[in-house]
Amino acid sequence: MRIYAYGIIDFHNRLEEPIEGLEGKGIYNVSYRDIGVTVSELNEETKEITDTCILEHEKVVERLMIKFTVLPMRFLTVFNTQEDLLSMVGFYYEDFKNNLERLRNKVEFGIKVIWPTDTIKQRIINAWNKSNHSLSIPADSKAKSFLKEKFKQQQIEKEFQEEANRCIAVVDDYFNKIAVEKKLKKLQTENLLLNASYLVDKDRQNEFKQAFEQLKNAPSDLKFLFSGPWPCYNFITLTKKPASVDYFNTEDMLNRLLAQQGFAKERNAV
Amino acid sequence: MTMNRTIETDSQEAFIEEIEKVQDMLPKRIDANPKNVEKGLAKLVLTLVELIRKLLEKQAMRRIEGGSLSEEEIEHMGETLLKLENKMQELKEIFGLKDEELNLNLGPLGDLM
Amino acid sequence: MDRPIKTIQDKNSYLDLRKQERVTLLEILDRALEKGVVISGDIVISVADVDLVYLGLKVLLSSVETMEHLRGAPMAGAQEGPT
Repeated sequence: MRIYAYGIIDFHNRLEEPIEGLEGKGIYNVSYRDIGVTVSELNEETKEITDTCILEHEKVVERLMIKFTVLPMRFLTVFNTQEDLLSMVGFYYEDFKNNLERLRNKVEFGIKVIWPTDTIKQRIINAWNKSNHSLSIPADSKAKSFLKEKFKQQQIEKEFQEEANRCIAVVDDYFNKIAVEKKLKKLQTENLLLNASYLVDKDRQNEFKQAFEQLKNAPSDLKFLFSGPWPCYNFITLTKKPASVDYFNTEDMLNRLLAQQGFAKERNAV
Repeated sequence: MTMNRTIETDSQEAFIEEIEKVQDMLPKRIDANPKNVEKGLAKLVLTLVELIRKLLEKQAMRRIEGGSLSEEEIEHMGETLLKLENKMQELKEIFGLKDEELNLNLGPLGDLM
Repeated sequence: MDRPIKTIQDKNSYLDLRKQERVTLLEILDRALEKGVVISGDIVISVADVDLVYLGLKVLLSSVETMEHLRGAPMAGAQEGPT
């Protein structure tokens, strides 16, 4: 029987209300000192889990959020034994305590912004063409023409990035003072100008929503997506690192980089 | 005392498209098979080569702008960079890799390029 | 994990979802797939590793001009002048 973990909570007793998790199994709380890990059992035969199972994972976490402060586990955190589970909690105990304290009564909101990439680029190109900023070399060869064009591309890209920064600052301004913490991701794709997560006090949820209404109603050529309240996925900070990792081991680093590119070498969990 | 979770947008399709793109770029948890290994290695190597190439381009521009190079050097630089760019394009085509795939996510530092 | 569990993208059932449901699923994926309490060590590059990679690159790729300047060697084609 493998153990599927949903989240760390600031509670070490038995859960009073029954909650159903993956594969219809009931959630139970495994206590460690004054905190707990909420888990359910996973069948041995389970070899594949579809991405839509994440909805069940999320439902459990949000259910727990009603009564407790929850540090949501990343989807698909599975342990072979209870001993493994407990040794993990023991290892990160201080981190968990700190996060539970920091995130008490807080929720996360997401703001995503799409901007009209082509219009922005065209605007920048037009401005560039009008200006006199091209590379001052004669375009008398293929190589030199290439350089002039490359220079132009670089300058336009630079201006594009700076325009993105300005635009993001304007959006962020609506939420800055209401949120306690924030994580801003710029241009994950050309069109997705901003993917922002804000940590907000439960008591200020409505205020935050209203700030979004103001942003939405302000004239602009931007598209917005508002979501929340969410469990605080983006605001977990773990300071402890697994001891068995040798940071100066090139082979280890190479394996990590390869894993990033989709070549996952089978290895024991740390 | 929590509101029910809401997701509000006036452009569902646009956001679906963009978020799907982001999801596609994440490293996948798939077991390695021989075919994937080659592509994974090629991606890694080409990502690093691309990084160096882009940095070389930027550096070259700075020097040309700075006026510290002779016309002959500028010409030579331009030819080399042009060749490099074409070579990279060839390699990308051979391995069937797109520009967006040649990037590394450095965790808290964001993307490499 | 000795016996890895694969996650598979069930494209068919995903496409059956209405747009609102797709947005919801994507928003959840955007959070729970890579964020939260992240334990496993082989996908995530921890902060120290990131510093190492970043620093390594920085040292590798410092400007040629600066390096030549530091070495005291004249740059090819430059005017005579103080280094």
